[in-house]
Amino acid sequence: MQNAKDSFYMALRARLTTINPERTILMRGAVRPGILVEEAEAPVSQLPTDVFVLRWLALGADLDLDSTMVATQCELIYQTCGTQSFGGLDRGRALSQMDEEVLAMIHPFYTPKLNYAATPPAAMLTQVFWDEPEFAPITIQRDRLSRTATTIVYSYQEQGE
Amino acid sequence: MVSTWFSAPAPVTRRVRAYFAPVNRSTQTPELFDPSQQGCFNLEAPPAPWIDLGWIQGFARKPASKSTSLLTGIPAAPLEQARETLETQVSLQFLNWTKLTMALATDSQHMNLLTPASAAAPSACGAEALPAVNPQSGSTSTSIQLASADAARFAAGSIIAVDVDYAGQTGYVGSPIAGAFVRQALADVDYIRRVTFNVALVSQVNATGLVLAQPLPGGAPAVGSKLQAIVGFVDREGGSFYQEWSGLFVSQGSQGERIFFHYPRLQTMAGTEEAISPLNQKHQNGQSRILLKGQFLALPVTDPLDGERVVCYRSFLPAAHALV
Repeated sequence: MQNAKDSFYMALRARLTTINPERTILMRGAVRPGILVEEAEAPVSQLPTDVFVLRWLALGADLDLDSTMVATQCELIYQTCGTQSFGGLDRGRALSQMDEEVLAMIHPFYTPKLNYAATPPAAMLTQVFWDEPEFAPITIQRDRLSRTATTIVYSYQEQGE
Repeated sequence: MVSTWFSAPAPVTRRVRAYFAPVNRSTQTPELFDPSQQGCFNLEAPPAPWIDLGWIQGFARKPASKSTSLLTGIPAAPLEQARETLETQVSLQFLNWTKLTMALATDSQHMNLLTPASAAAPSACGAEALPAVNPQSGSTSTSIQLASADAARFAAGSIIAVDVDYAGQTGYVGSPIAGAFVRQALADVDYIRRVTFNVALVSQVNATGLVLAQPLPGGAPAVGSKLQAIVGFVDREGGSFYQEWSGLFVSQGSQGERIFFHYPRLQTMAGTEEAISPLNQKHQNGQSRILLKGQFLALPVTDPLDGERVVCYRSFLPAAHALV
């Protein structure tokens, strides 16, 4: 299922670079698209703002099928304080823009499954697919607005996985 | 060793997309869909003449064919089966209101409300209309050339109907899609433009004519066609005309596989009916979406392959690398 998780993340990352190439983050000295996987980064006490943080949660499997189907719950967390140039008064607009980017990133609701442990990544036989996201209400912490969008990512286990 | 195949479980889909194409009512010729040649089409751009009606919901197929057993022996036991009747029904809900979805959701002719003339007497199907104007040569399916005085009668956002004058004929009228069957001669010169499916939205108006936001279903205006503005649509419950279209429904699975349901002949079979769908399921009395309900009876065609009479073709294009 790691291949499915990697493929989902890489699909969203590639789409984000097209949707909003200016949404980036400086990580370990490198400028990257503004989306990261929480479990693949160093632990932090406060998640970064103005980027998308992907968090993997529940896991389920349907073992009765010819190919086992795995369902993984994915939470996309994003938050913003607005911009300094507007004194943070644009934080609502900034969060709305991130909402729109989530809607654009998740469409279409599938992507080819690749094995990113190989170099270059090896195409697999099936596709990873997911549901429409469920958006949670905004959470307000002082001047910080945050939201989570949750979806279920499905994939079929292939031979050798 | 790298695997080159996988065992695909049952398709997983999110929704169904509908396409319709006109049946030539005069010759009773339905539109055929060949999944072997056309099955990989872009869902956003179906092959001509199929018209994309978008995603639908509540798509249900209800086989109503009956078989009977030929019994033999004591005690009697089935020896063979024979098909007694051939019938199937299709129902669905359209997620948009357009000329075509409204027409498909009614069991009579569907009419355009022509822009009324000044002080015209009221009529339930639309009053006497403003006179039609003549398209000039050089018009296309997306651009109508007009004299500047005629162009000035339209505005961006207008809806237009393009078809010929009614000249007293009987039978099917409307081109290229039959919009009604005239049993006896009528007096309304605009009647064909009242029932035509050849309608489109105007996006721009300039001194030389109109630019359309969508192509006319009938293509470039035919010789003798005229143009009138319409304000909306009306249909009636009752009457003797039944819409008949070829229908194609597509489900795309999560692995890229496709299921097609192709009905060469679908006739509407129920009166106008709407479904109410609350936008917020927890607030049933709040804002609600009104969905057009379509109910169809599938009529048979004779398959030239072997002479069998059939009502539906179900095709399946498996996912790449899936075991079959």
